[in-house]
Amino acid sequence: MAAVPQPDYHEIDRTVMRTLEWPGWKYWVWIGFLFTVVVWAGLCWVNQIYNGLGVTNLKQPNMWAMYITNFVFWVGIAHSGTLISAILYLFRSRWRTAVYRIAETMTAFAVMTAGLCPLMHLGRVWFFYWLLPYPNERWLQPDFRSPLVWDAFAVSTYLTISILFLFMGLIPDVATARDESTGWRKFFYGLVCLGWQGSDDQWRHYKGVYLLLAGLATPLVISVHSVVSWDFAMAQLPGWHSTIFAPYFVAGAIFSGCAMVLTLMIPVRKWLDLEDLITPWHIDNLARIVLFTSLIVTYSYLVESWMAWYSKDPFEVMTFHERYFGPYGYLFWLMVFCNCIVPLLLFSAKVRRNLTLLFIISLLINVGMWLERYVIIAGSLATNFMPSQWGFHTPSVTEASLTAGTFAFFLMMFSLFARFLPIISTTELKEGLRWLRQALRQESAEAA
Amino acid sequence: MSDPVRILGVFTDEEECAEGIESLRRAGYSKLEVFSPIPSDRVLEALALKKSPVRVFVLVGGILGALSGFALTIGTSLTWPHVAGGKPIISITPYIVIAYELMILLGGLSGIAAFLLFGRLPAAESKIGYSERFSGDRFGVWVTCGPDQTGRAESLLRNSGAEEVERETA
Repeated sequence: MAAVPQPDYHEIDRTVMRTLEWPGWKYWVWIGFLFTVVVWAGLCWVNQIYNGLGVTNLKQPNMWAMYITNFVFWVGIAHSGTLISAILYLFRSRWRTAVYRIAETMTAFAVMTAGLCPLMHLGRVWFFYWLLPYPNERWLQPDFRSPLVWDAFAVSTYLTISILFLFMGLIPDVATARDESTGWRKFFYGLVCLGWQGSDDQWRHYKGVYLLLAGLATPLVISVHSVVSWDFAMAQLPGWHSTIFAPYFVAGAIFSGCAMVLTLMIPVRKWLDLEDLITPWHIDNLARIVLFTSLIVTYSYLVESWMAWYSKDPFEVMTFHERYFGPYGYLFWLMVFCNCIVPLLLFSAKVRRNLTLLFIISLLINVGMWLERYVIIAGSLATNFMPSQWGFHTPSVTEASLTAGTFAFFLMMFSLFARFLPIISTTELKEGLRWLRQALRQESAEAA
Repeated sequence: MSDPVRILGVFTDEEECAEGIESLRRAGYSKLEVFSPIPSDRVLEALALKKSPVRVFVLVGGILGALSGFALTIGTSLTWPHVAGGKPIISITPYIVIAYELMILLGGLSGIAAFLLFGRLPAAESKIGYSERFSGDRFGVWVTCGPDQTGRAESLLRNSGAEEVERETA
């Protein structure tokens, strides 16, 4: 039987600091590939700005289609990061320590990516600031009764708070990196950690503000995706005008976000050699959240359909009939397969411990959750009240390129972060060391 | 009057460090400064520090944020009365969303500002007594006392499990 690893403070630091060593050529090829996709998407965007939205084939009634699908998808991805970092912190959940930095980093970059999507969707992007209240000579202000203005406030608050939360967690870890480094790295980490030294007085204020930020981030995360859902639910459109949208979207967001954490964490764990810090116990717990939220999402799909049927509203009934059997029907059933059927495999402990299978499941869920947003947005817009206004969306090269660009931008930022700043919180792992040791012992016993 | 002396006790274990602090405090040593690699509740309890005032800043920031949210939305509506969809000029329900978001935003920002202020960050220079190992795997307890109290402080630190005890004239 192999010896059970017994990590101590020094071992944790050593393992995490190893991830900050200068990366090899494969890493730079990967970054180069992502950068190329981002540049291509940027060129497509410039072309769209110069020639107008006509290059996207977006036309009435389906003006929102892929860009707003991407926006909702990325905001949703962000949510699980706050769930893991803030909500599980408040609940003192021990398994979060090894995974929360990955989730939090994902949140910050996912919100940044999400923020780009409505800009991509603007015909005259240089007027984006019209959404914000700013002093002007005519005293013109945005209409605060509009959900789109709520969205601007909610998403920018969320971006600010998530970055602050990520930064707060990073301070003591980067101080460790500073003390372990030399040269320009020492200088860089010294700047990032603001000269942190971990005195009792600093920790006292740190703990106070961290707890309160977690307390603020928790209702914030619920509000942000509720506000995003109200972009749709406040409209009269059949398929959107529904009271269950807020909880339905929040559950979907956490579901997709946890799946994305798995998608990122499984390769990161292997490539950065973090097997002794991110154990199958951590991954198993994450998979359970995915399963749980999948059941809520499935329930929401059923309730949504039931409400349409029970309302006897002909437009609602027609919209849902179209959703199941219309031109986008195959996307709906693919979504059901990815979001409702596939996650049921996670009832099996063996599947939750099989990382290859888990990775494939998480990818399918990502696909399923993107499709969910597309089905809701493009599907509902396609069949309005008047058949004369109907129109179906066909993705264009520009839209597909910009969508690929959002994924590449997100992955590039995440990859850069993972090799230049601590992707695992050494401080919190040290704090919960006995839980990590217990997980490793249990793992070793099960393997034996 | 003779100069005070600073004594450092270095611990490898959080619990032993906390016990060391408790025994020093019981013996009447009150000028203690601790460096630790983790935010240890046990160590902070042993030091019996007051709760951080950052919470007051978060509360005040949150209240101001909510009030400014209502002020912005109501003030805007009154300055430019715009009837849309038969809704009242001042529609409190949607304004709650703006006030709620600004409450969280300003609460968070004031919390961070207070943390930086009270934690004396950013700090260009190291605090006296800081060592790089205190961000890694060691806990450092500094005791400042009169020259006649050093012997007892050193023995209390050793008895609590300090792996290293050294003296420095302040």
